[in-house]
Amino acid sequence: MSLLLRAIVAAEDAGVAADLGLFSVSGTRAAALASAWDTARAAGEAELLDHHRIVQAVFERVPCLPARFGSAFADEEALRLRLALREVDLAAQLVRLGHRCELAITCAWREQEALPRATIVPARSGRAYLERGLTQMRVERARERRAEAIVARLLSELAIEPAFIRHRICPRPAVAVSMSVLVTRDEIEEMSSRVERLGAQLGDVTTVMQGPWAPYTFAVSE
Amino acid sequence: MTEQVATLDVPLVELVDRLLNRGVVLTGEVTISVAGVDLIYLGLSVVLSGVDTIRRHGADI
Repeated sequence: MSLLLRAIVAAEDAGVAADLGLFSVSGTRAAALASAWDTARAAGEAELLDHHRIVQAVFERVPCLPARFGSAFADEEALRLRLALREVDLAAQLVRLGHRCELAITCAWREQEALPRATIVPARSGRAYLERGLTQMRVERARERRAEAIVARLLSELAIEPAFIRHRICPRPAVAVSMSVLVTRDEIEEMSSRVERLGAQLGDVTTVMQGPWAPYTFAVSE
Repeated sequence: MTEQVATLDVPLVELVDRLLNRGVVLTGEVTISVAGVDLIYLGLSVVLSGVDTIRRHGADI
């Protein structure tokens, strides 16, 4: 029977999700929680969201490190071997991150159609093509500068230790800033208030906070 | 405000990005595909589009 990895927990918490139908493979310091999985089975949006639901259920009970979706193992022994190679590092990460939550802060541009689509409509001439490309590049640079300014506002407003923040500017055409912050549960309400307050001041983006989630962004791979 | 962004699928893409691109990896023996697209390739593309978009354009990824 193949297993799909869901989360890593401390060894003493190995049995925490037995009622969720999860198998545990324990080492001396950490345990891997996994579900039975048919590798011939197709995965789609439902399976992705199901993975998130399972990780969240574990996270609500004990500190955990969420697994990236998609790692399947032939059997328990295969998973045990891989866990043994990373166990010391994973146990250290659990101590550092496991009791913290990830909040996702997204600033999406209100004006979605501002960027010209250079490749869709053929240009009338080479000059027109280059001019359109130049215009697009200027718009993109302006957006990047604006996104950097928004990040500066967020960092100032949230006042979180740099080690607990990750961000990207303009990761997609619709998004100015995608930020992940790591907080304790008792900090969530205050963080939410700060994000809402700042979002109300930013007229060109819509600001949304999601979470609390397990610390996906801060769990280090390999 | 939230309604406007939900229409754009931004929150879903943010979550899917984390599910596919972040989190602990123990290097499984089998890499699952999503909507017929191998995750190795999907991981590079998910930041550009939501799952529905990937499904529609899966053959081009």
